[in-house]
Order: sequence, then C-alpha cells, then structure tokens
Amino acid sequence: MLNRACGVYQTTYEGDMALYPLPLARASAIGALVLLVLLPLAVDSHKMALVNLMVLASIGAIGLNILVGYTGQVSLGQGAFMMVGSYTAALVTLRLGAPFWVGLLAGGTVAAAVGTFFGIPSLRIKGLYLAIATLAAQFIIEWTINHSTWISGGVQSTIYVPTPDFFGWPINSEYRRYFMLLPVAVIAYVAAQNLVRSRVGRAFVAVRDREVAAEIIGVDIFKYKLLAFAVSSFYAGVAGALWTYYLKIANYEHFTLTTSVSYLAMIIIGGLGSVLGSVFGAVFITLLPIVLVYVVEGGAALFGFKYAAIANFLANLRLIIFGGLIIVFLAIEPEGFFRMWGNVKRYFRFWPFSY
Amino acid sequence: MRANRWSAGILTVVLALTLGAVPAAADHVIKVGGQCDRTGPTKNVGVELCPGLTDYIDLVNKKGGVLGHKLEYTEIEHGYTVDRGVEAYERLKRDGAVATLDYGTPIVYALTPRHMDDKIPAITPGFGRADSTDGTVWPYIFPMAATYWSQAGAGMKFIKDNGAKKGTKIAHLYYDNPAGREGIPIVEAVAKKEGYELRLFAVPPPGVEMGPQVIDITRRFKADWVLGHLFGQSPAVSIKELKRAGFPLNRFVSFVWGAGEANIDGAGWDVSQGYIGMQYSSTGRDLPVIKEIIQKIYKDEKKDVPKYVGSVYYCRGVLNGAILAEGVRLAVQNHGLPVTGDKVRQGFEAIKNFDLQGFLPPMTVTPQDHEGGGWVRMYQVKGTEWVAVTDWIRGYRDEVLAEVRKANKK
Amino acid sequence: MTFFFDLTVNGLMIGTMYALVALGFVLIYKATSVVNFAQGELVMFGGYVAAALISLYHLPLAVALPVLLGTMVVLGFAIERGVLRPLVGQQVISVVMVTIGLAQVLQGSAAMVWGAQTKNIPLPIPLDPYIVWEIYLSPINIVAAVVSAGFLVGFAWFFRRSRLGIAMRAVANDQQAAMAVGINVRLVFALSWAIAGLTAGIGGVVWGSMLGVDTQLALVGLKVFPAVILGGLDSVPGAVVGGLMIGAIESVAAGYIDPYVGGGTKDFIPYVLMIVVLMIRPYGFFGREIIERV
Repeated sequence: MLNRACGVYQTTYEGDMALYPLPLARASAIGALVLLVLLPLAVDSHKMALVNLMVLASIGAIGLNILVGYTGQVSLGQGAFMMVGSYTAALVTLRLGAPFWVGLLAGGTVAAAVGTFFGIPSLRIKGLYLAIATLAAQFIIEWTINHSTWISGGVQSTIYVPTPDFFGWPINSEYRRYFMLLPVAVIAYVAAQNLVRSRVGRAFVAVRDREVAAEIIGVDIFKYKLLAFAVSSFYAGVAGALWTYYLKIANYEHFTLTTSVSYLAMIIIGGLGSVLGSVFGAVFITLLPIVLVYVVEGGAALFGFKYAAIANFLANLRLIIFGGLIIVFLAIEPEGFFRMWGNVKRYFRFWPFSY
Repeated sequence: MRANRWSAGILTVVLALTLGAVPAAADHVIKVGGQCDRTGPTKNVGVELCPGLTDYIDLVNKKGGVLGHKLEYTEIEHGYTVDRGVEAYERLKRDGAVATLDYGTPIVYALTPRHMDDKIPAITPGFGRADSTDGTVWPYIFPMAATYWSQAGAGMKFIKDNGAKKGTKIAHLYYDNPAGREGIPIVEAVAKKEGYELRLFAVPPPGVEMGPQVIDITRRFKADWVLGHLFGQSPAVSIKELKRAGFPLNRFVSFVWGAGEANIDGAGWDVSQGYIGMQYSSTGRDLPVIKEIIQKIYKDEKKDVPKYVGSVYYCRGVLNGAILAEGVRLAVQNHGLPVTGDKVRQGFEAIKNFDLQGFLPPMTVTPQDHEGGGWVRMYQVKGTEWVAVTDWIRGYRDEVLAEVRKANKK
Repeated sequence: MTFFFDLTVNGLMIGTMYALVALGFVLIYKATSVVNFAQGELVMFGGYVAAALISLYHLPLAVALPVLLGTMVVLGFAIERGVLRPLVGQQVISVVMVTIGLAQVLQGSAAMVWGAQTKNIPLPIPLDPYIVWEIYLSPINIVAAVVSAGFLVGFAWFFRRSRLGIAMRAVANDQQAAMAVGINVRLVFALSWAIAGLTAGIGGVVWGSMLGVDTQLALVGLKVFPAVILGGLDSVPGAVVGGLMIGAIESVAAGYIDPYVGGGTKDFIPYVLMIVVLMIRPYGFFGREIIERV
C-alpha cells in the first residue's frame, strides 16, 4: 500500500544514519508528536492524570530497558534508584530553592552515581546472581533513606516540595503537569533511540549477546556495564524526580519492590531491547489495573451485583487477572508488544499481498 | 490467525463491559467517596471497615437520605498503594465527590496537597497525619478521631494509672514506617517527663518477624510494659511472640489498629487473654446504630448478617460513614445546595456534641481542633471478646498539643 | 552473654525454617534452571490450606497433614504442567516473570477463597517457653526446627540413595545426557515442582503456626534469596547452610545493631552479607561455577 522504502535514496551518510530516514516514518513521528501536544484538548482531568502516569512510567521503563534489554543485566533495583532521584530532587528544591529542572538533573545524576556503585558487582557476578544483588540495592537504599533523617526529612520520611513553576507560572493542574512531563519524556525517548543506534549501544548489545567474544574483540566489558547501569539509573532518577514534582511530595513508600517488579513487567511485556516497546509496556501496565476495575465493575453491574456485596471478590480477582495476563502474555507472545507492532507494520507494508 | 480472532473477541467483550461501567447521571444525589484496602497489607482491616461505612450510608439513604437528598458513596480499592490512591482521588473528584475518606497514612500524605488545592475535605480517622489536628494550618484534612499522638498520650496515661512510676521500663514496639513512627515524639516526651526508662523497638515491614526485638524486650531490656503501635498482620504476631517469650499480656497496650477481633483471630483467643487495646469508637452489636443496621439493612432485606457486623473495625467504618453524613448534613442545613467541598468543610467544623447514640464520646470539631478531642477507651481480651476496662480517657493533652504546634511551625 | 546465645539459638531455629523454604527453591532451580519467585506464595498457600483443614474443617492433625501434603504435591504438578510447560525454551527472564505472575495469581486466589483475615493454625503445642541454662526456648520454634531438620535429612537421603533422587540429580547435571541414558526428563521436571510444593506445604504449616497465615507470609520467600545465593543457587547443602547462616546472623545483628540505627537491621543485613560473599565467591559457598564457552 505505502511501500515505504521505494524510491527513497540517501545521498549523505547523515541521511542514512538518521533516526527516521524514510519520509513516511518521519511524517508519522511528527504526526505523533503533534497528537501528543494536542491531547489535552480531548481529555478530561481524570484521564489526563492517567496519561501523566503513563508518561511517568515510560521514562523509567525506557531506562530499565537500556539496562536489561540492551545490555542483558537483569536489575530488580529500579524502584530504589527512582527513590534516590526523588529524594535528591526534593532536597535540592527544598534546601537550595532550585527550580524543578535543576532538581531533575540533580536527581538523575545522583541516581546515576548510586546505580553505578551497585553495578560494580556485575564485574564478578552474572545473570540471576546479579539480579538478586540488585534486589539488595532495593533494600539497602530503602533502609538508608528511611533511617537517615538528613535525607528523609524526619520521622515521616516525607518531604513536601512547593508547587513547581515554570518561570513564575505555577504548575498545579493535570494539564500543566502534562506539559511538564511531556518534553522530558520526548527527550528521553529520542536520546534513548539515538543511544542504542550509536557505538555505545552496539557495545551494550555485544555485552548482552556474547560477552566473552565482545571482550576478545576489544569492547571494555566493565566500562560498558557500568555505563549501562549509570544511564539506566539516570533515567530512573529523572523519573523519580518527576514523581516528586508530580505529587509534590517525596515518600519512599512510592518506590517499593513491587514498583521494580512492575517496571520489569513493563519492559518484558512491551518488548525487551526496544525503546518503543518500553513505552507500549508502560502504557499497558499502567492502564491494566484501572481497565480491569472498570471491566469487572461493568460486568458486575450487568449482572446486577451491588459493589459492596462482591467487593472482596473483585479486588482479588483483579490480582488474579493481573498475574494471569502476565503468564498468558508471555506464553503467547514472549517478545512483547513490540513484536506485535512489528507484525502489524509488516502486514501493512505488503498489503494487499501477504508476503 | 486463530489467536487473532480470539484477541478480537476478547477486546470486544472488554469494551462492552467497560461501557457498562459508565456511571449514569443523577440529580439530587450528593456524592462522596473514599479508598479501601482489600488486597494490601491492611486488608484484614479493610474488609470489615469498608462494609461498615457503606452499610451506614445505606442506612442513611433508607431513612430518607441527608435532609431528603440521597448520599452516594463510591469505594475505590487501592491496595494501600499511593499511585492507585492518587488515581482513585482524581476519579472521585471527576465524578463530583465533595468529601473523601483517605485510607492509609502514606495516601493521606500524598493527597494532602491535592485536597488543599481542590478544596475538597478529607477525613482520616485513625490514620495519619497527626499534625492536621490544627485545622488552621490544614483546613481540609480532618483526623476526626484520636490521632497517633493522642493515642500515645492515652496509652501512657493508662500505664501511669496502672502503677508506673519513675524508673519503670517501657518498650515501644512500633512498625517501622512513617505511620508507625508517628507516635514516637509523644512517647519520648512523656517518658522524659515521668522519668520512665524508654526504649524503642522497630519492626521492619511487613512486620511478620520480630524475634530479636522480642528477645531484647524480654531478656535484655526486661521491660515492665510494652506499648505497641503495629498494624496489618503484625499485632497478631507480636501477641504470639511476646506470649512465647513469657511476657504478661496484660502489660501490653496497643494502639487502635492492633485492637480488632481480626488481630486476635490471627493470634488465637486463648493465647491473647489479657491483652489491652484502645478503641476510638464503641464496639459490639448492642449499640443502637448497629442494631438498626442489622434490622434495616440485613433482616428486612432477608440477608444473612455477616460475622463481622458489630466488630471493632466494622464499627470504625460505621463511624466514618456517620461523620461523612453528618458533615454533609450540616453543609446542606447551614449553607444550602449545591453542595461543594468548601461547604462540607464548614459542615465538618460545625459538628457539635456528636455521639451517634452512645457510639463515641460527644465529639465537637472546631477550626482549631480537627481531631474532636482525642478520646479513646481501653478494652481487654477476656474470654472470646473485647471488654471495656476504662471509660473514655485521654492523656497528656498538653504534650500532644505542644507537638502539634511544633510540627506546624515548620 | 545469655542475650547472645538467646539470639543465636533463636536465629538458628528460624534458619532451619528458612532452609526448608530455600530447599524447595533450589530443587526447582537445580532440575529446571527456573528461578521460582513464587516460592513464598507457595508457602503461603500451604499455610492457608493447613489453616483451612485444621481450623475450618476441624480435621485431626494426623489426617490434616497428609491431606495438606497431597494437595501441595498436586498443586506443584499442576503448576508445572499448566504454567511452566508452555514456556519451555524461552529466555530466563521470561520464565522469571511468569513465576512473578504466578505469585500474584496465588495471592489473589488464596485471599479470594479464604478471605482476608489472618488465620491461625492451632497446634497442640504449649506456648510457654522452656528455660534451659537461662536460654528461653519456645516449644513451637523447637518443633518447627525439628520438623524442618527432619525433612532436610529425609531429602538428603532421597537424593543420595533413591533411584528417583539420583535421576533428578542427573537431569540437573546434564539434561541431554540424562535423556540419552533414558531418564524421563519431563517426569523429573514435574517431580521437582511437586517436591517443591511439598516443602512449601510443610513450610506453610511451620511458618503459619509461628506467624499466623496471611498473604504477607509470602514475603518469607524474599528472605530466602540471600540464603540461596549464599549457599549457591544449585546446591542443596548450600540451601541448608545458607538458611542457617542467614537466620543466625540476622538475629544476632538485629539484636545488637538495631538500638543504634533505629531498627530494620534484620532487613538489610542479609543482603549486605550476600553482596560481600558474592564478591569473594561469585557462585556462593557451594554453588557450581558456570563455565562460559564462546
């Protein structure tokens, strides 16, 4: 139908290496961006809050995918690194009065440092042992923040930040928060896409696929592993800092082990090793509990049950469906949404022919 | 291809069911709402508290509603997590709720900025945040029941009334999270004032193991009294552990969330004899309100009365519902329709001598005191039920109010 | 000094209970290379079944225990057949996620079937402590430790002496060679999950009677990770040693360090210890080193 590569010739190296070399791809990318910017016009405040949650989740998911999908280092500590970024941003804003984008950068940088530190064991241990070591990061960081009042701001471990503002324009509605989150997410996405197509990205993939062979041809394994941890934790830190500004508080109970697990679920269901897949996964996992609630409530209403009578049943059914969906999904389509998306694209590429 | 047809089918069903959940518009309905934890760490409380609340609202509606208007309460389950709590609040706000029950201390903290911005009041009976006692600083957050500071004060008073003197050793066993740590400032202040020897023992979440702490309390520290601030599953574990270590349970006083039947069921009634817990509302099926609920909501509808009706946590739910209804009633009575969040706030602050036919000591809320006095009552496990051993008490009110002032000065 | 002994003895007894849960975990990993994140939930499920049998249906202990073990074995078989079989051959992280999904399903179903209240497992064991040389010993802990130890010894014998046990070790060692020799690998897979279910069932009774049965019981499974890492993911004696060590060290550390740092030591000391050990011996004390080939 729109056989995309037909008749498109690149005459420069830059053209060939561009992120979206084909005109159709470029047009659709710009179109998507325009749609995203115009989205607030079409949705109400509650749905805007949902979209914000998805955008927030995407940033963290992209970061985790860089580490897990591209470099092959399983990490269960995403929640902890987000926690670090969140508290750093809160402290920087509260104690130094810095504007929110400084808080973002500070959160990301400190989280990157901490992440690199916890990546050091990756020199010696691999695979699932490393995964459990990152689990240690989750607990150790949580305990440290919880028990040092200098960081946690007192017994409550909650730090309030004043409403962030953009040069004097306060960000206090879901729509304005959307425009605080969207540019960061777009930058994160584009940066990740470029990173993985670069030399560094290729080194990451080499480490994942055949570590020993990569070392032989001269890829510095340790440096690239640490770099992967650093970049991934930077993303996590930025995501955590954004949580602080979104909720206007920093609290460690937002970033538990369950959070780390759901980020892992996001990238696995979305597609390991693909940036767009991370976004798909983030959208899916964020929406899933909410859609499930609607579906189950709607079904109950259809059958005439009052909520109160079956509330317990519903609440646990939600859990079961959530777990069950993960299992079913992994059995049917182990490479995630990204693969499904690829199938759809391929189908339309050759339409009306089948191959 | 078969998989694709399956997926298409499932998608259609999902969409159809989702549409079924779209709420129908209705007028002269006043909407309120709240979250509930039915799957998370405090679910043993939630599955009794939330039905209590909805049952009371049903009763109100059966008797004609709030001054003729139907009161609609929407419960959204959040599993004690913050992001779902935030989403729940936003959804309630979108649907027009004028007041909410915020369930869980971390959720209260997370939603406080939004309540203040959106001018929708929240009641938080039995949960954090103790500093919201001062309504002039936190106009939209209402503890409406003894906060953890007041509970600490009352607990220490009970200990003093039962023989503590200078040098008595008190162990404060608390859940190691912000909610659990809230009681510490008051406990420390009182211990210093009375000359007690106080030691703090933290139980890390999820609170199912506390062996070293209990060994320390009973063997090394050799405490005379244990003041416990635990919730979820950990009160049951603490009772068993202390009993196993040979500690006399009638010297173990617990804050409100360790004082339900569910906790004793978990530990075993024969094990827990003598254990003391505090309540901020009365409990039992003899109360007029509970009898009315049993009659009108269950017997008249020919439904079986569930086991938990009349239990401690159920009654707390009833209290929550009653406070919401009372606040809305005063809002409509004093300020008329349409009801807004701000009017409900004023309604809450106008509550005077409210005692729901003996359910609680007469509660008066003012703009300065959003707590309603901070009264609790001590109950003890005797036989197979909780029996009251004191009247309504409160203790060390000066210390509590000083702490409120200190917290809000920051 | 008695304080130290109190803590150590208490910790060692809890350690045997950790070892029991760790055993199930290691069994599955050894035979099928699957890291089972749902082991804690299996323990929880076992606890719920036990509580239901004893408290709800009032079965005498002698009847309830075999029924419980039978149920858990069937559950293990069912999980292997229904959940793990379709995922044979996929990358490790997918299988790990599947076990995480399974954990959610188990949690939701347990709460749905038996309700959200904490359940008690009443055992005919006295509660008041025995005092031996000034060390307080709680009868329940003693029974739990003895039961766990008994099962551990039983499993050790099983793996050393019985045909089936040796077949399982063969499959764990080299799947292809085992198949070539004629061992039914599929049966071994199913059996390893069934035995894991069995250990989870006992673990459920033992932990449930100590702590009360609730979905939070599943978090015991998390504690087991440092134990298996310390011992080596694929070593049965390692699981035992790891469990004992973690139990003892966290108890002693918590007792002495907690007052200075405001609590919570029990949570993170095992992990710190784990990282330290991993830096020195990457595969744990008894684990087999993975030799990579290019």
